[in-house]
Amino acid sequence: MSDLFANLLLGFSVAAHPYNLAFCLLGALVGTLVGVLPGIGTVATVAMLLPITFGLPPVGALIMLAGIYYGAQYGGSTTSVLVNIPGEATSVITCLDGHQMARQGRAGAALSIAAIGSFFAGCVSTVLVAALGGPLTSIALLFGPAEYFSLMVLGLIFAVVLAKGSVLKAISMIVLGLLLSMVGSDLETGAGRMTFDITELSDGIGFANVAMGVFGFAEIIRNLEVSQESRDILKTKISGLMPTRQDLIDSAPAIARGTILGSLLGILPGGGAVVASFAAYTFEKRISKNPERFGRGEIKGVAAPESANNAAAQTSFIPLLTLGIPPNAVMALMVGAMTIHGIVPGPQVMVKQPELFWGMIASMWLGNLMLVIINLPLVGVWVSLLRVPYRLLFPSIIVFCCIGIYSVNNSPTDVIIAGVFGVFGYWLVKHDFEPAPLVLAFVLGPLMEENLRRAMLIARGDATVFLTRPISAGLILVSAILLILAVLPAIRKQRDEVFVE
Amino acid sequence: MGFRVRSPQDFWGGIVLIIIALIAIWASRDLAGMRGFAFGPGTAPRLFAGLLAFCGALVALVGLLQDGPKIGAYAIRGPLFIVAAILTFALAVRPLGLVFATYVTFLVSIMASKEMRLIESVIAAAAMTAFCVGLFTYLLGLPFQLWPPFMY
Repeated sequence: MSDLFANLLLGFSVAAHPYNLAFCLLGALVGTLVGVLPGIGTVATVAMLLPITFGLPPVGALIMLAGIYYGAQYGGSTTSVLVNIPGEATSVITCLDGHQMARQGRAGAALSIAAIGSFFAGCVSTVLVAALGGPLTSIALLFGPAEYFSLMVLGLIFAVVLAKGSVLKAISMIVLGLLLSMVGSDLETGAGRMTFDITELSDGIGFANVAMGVFGFAEIIRNLEVSQESRDILKTKISGLMPTRQDLIDSAPAIARGTILGSLLGILPGGGAVVASFAAYTFEKRISKNPERFGRGEIKGVAAPESANNAAAQTSFIPLLTLGIPPNAVMALMVGAMTIHGIVPGPQVMVKQPELFWGMIASMWLGNLMLVIINLPLVGVWVSLLRVPYRLLFPSIIVFCCIGIYSVNNSPTDVIIAGVFGVFGYWLVKHDFEPAPLVLAFVLGPLMEENLRRAMLIARGDATVFLTRPISAGLILVSAILLILAVLPAIRKQRDEVFVE
Repeated sequence: MGFRVRSPQDFWGGIVLIIIALIAIWASRDLAGMRGFAFGPGTAPRLFAGLLAFCGALVALVGLLQDGPKIGAYAIRGPLFIVAAILTFALAVRPLGLVFATYVTFLVSIMASKEMRLIESVIAAAAMTAFCVGLFTYLLGLPFQLWPPFMY
């Protein structure tokens, strides 16, 4: 216990450094700024802003990225409440009751309850991350290559189970992501693989290019098809930011339940914020005495999912920081950023770079605090941003993305590669393929291949090693059960219902 | 019984995945395979390409047998100008410098929307260029070349 406090103290001493504070604030601000824009989700926001952190020192860069992540998520909820277009998947749920509240003139209360709920969830889950970080890291040290490989299989299977639509198509996307990650030099021999003699490809396809193409450019191309003039922006002035006493009393238990549910779901690989907010909303509705009030401006319907998605956003750092395995697409982007700074995510980060590990955890809490402080007074600014017409917004995003990609390596080819992935991403959407599993697999690909090769080498070519080592066998077993459950028709139906709702 | 594709979306999606897999297998044809117990550089790519071809075939098969949605209409204007804008930036940033590349890219991409207005666009492009130069060059201190080389 005293260890925990000593560690958190170290963390806060790092995070409270003026530079790091500034990075955290800047990240939260810029994240909210972009996250507020309708049609740009968390993943796209983080992908777009990734390049601007590359010039910073590693600790600052990761703190800023984490800030961007929370900011983007909070910005998404602001959009959901004020415009009936969710900025991103996690705030689809917030739309239901949040926008209804706004129509009844209670936008201020909805926004502040969302902020308070997020902050409470942030506090609880920060402590959880700090407390679980240590023990999980010691488990990770027991892992050999076979266990790591099986764990990544489990993570990818989770991503399949939780993706919406066809299980088969999600698996196809995973395999495609793994295949794409193999372009470039071979880990051991250095032989160029599938490079088509293009020099820029010998280092592999840049991760930022794929993310920016699939999430940034493709989103814009798709959004252009929908007429943007029909946006239903709240015209009334927002008055009375503070929730009433009754609001607070009503939403307190919902916030607590949302936090618990979100924290648990966030730790699971493949899960994260989207599922957490859906689950929290459904749960609230089910236990409520008057479920008919949900969808008509029930404050609990804002409080629970908002707390849950923030809690999940935080706890999804646990598998990343302790095991080095990104549980969702945003964390995959974090791995990409860490790799560029020369940090290999995993248990050794906590041992070798405690200031990075604990600094990041402490900055999570500070980031949440900042969100509460900056967002409530700045709501007016975000609203005016929503009035910028899309016809001016999207060229700005295109330009910003182009410069961002170019700045990573000063390579025009990277920009073109991202463009190719943009068109490919558009094609994926047309054929109802989910890009998130692809990106997750793309990031895990090299790690998976390395561990697979090492495990096979150690086992002298015996592929049953994954089933004979107990931890690995357990992980594979869980993956198999999950996959079977996902394919079973009864459960599929229920799963689809959750996503439709 | 007439033969028809019941879900074009899935069927063609699967076919394209198979094509990608075949390209990957062709592209990794020269890479060495297994050496004893050890994976060669070509083992994993061929393994996953094979798996992708298999998945693609299953997706296509589902498309043949199960009713599903048609492929949504592809927009032409949007993708065309967005791609043109990205290419413009990639080709212009070295010879013309950041300022001109950004400005022109903005103007090309804005044409992707039918709601484009001329004067507004010209002003917005200038504002965005100023913002990007300010952010990337001055605030973040990235070493970009701002103007064309002949202007130095």
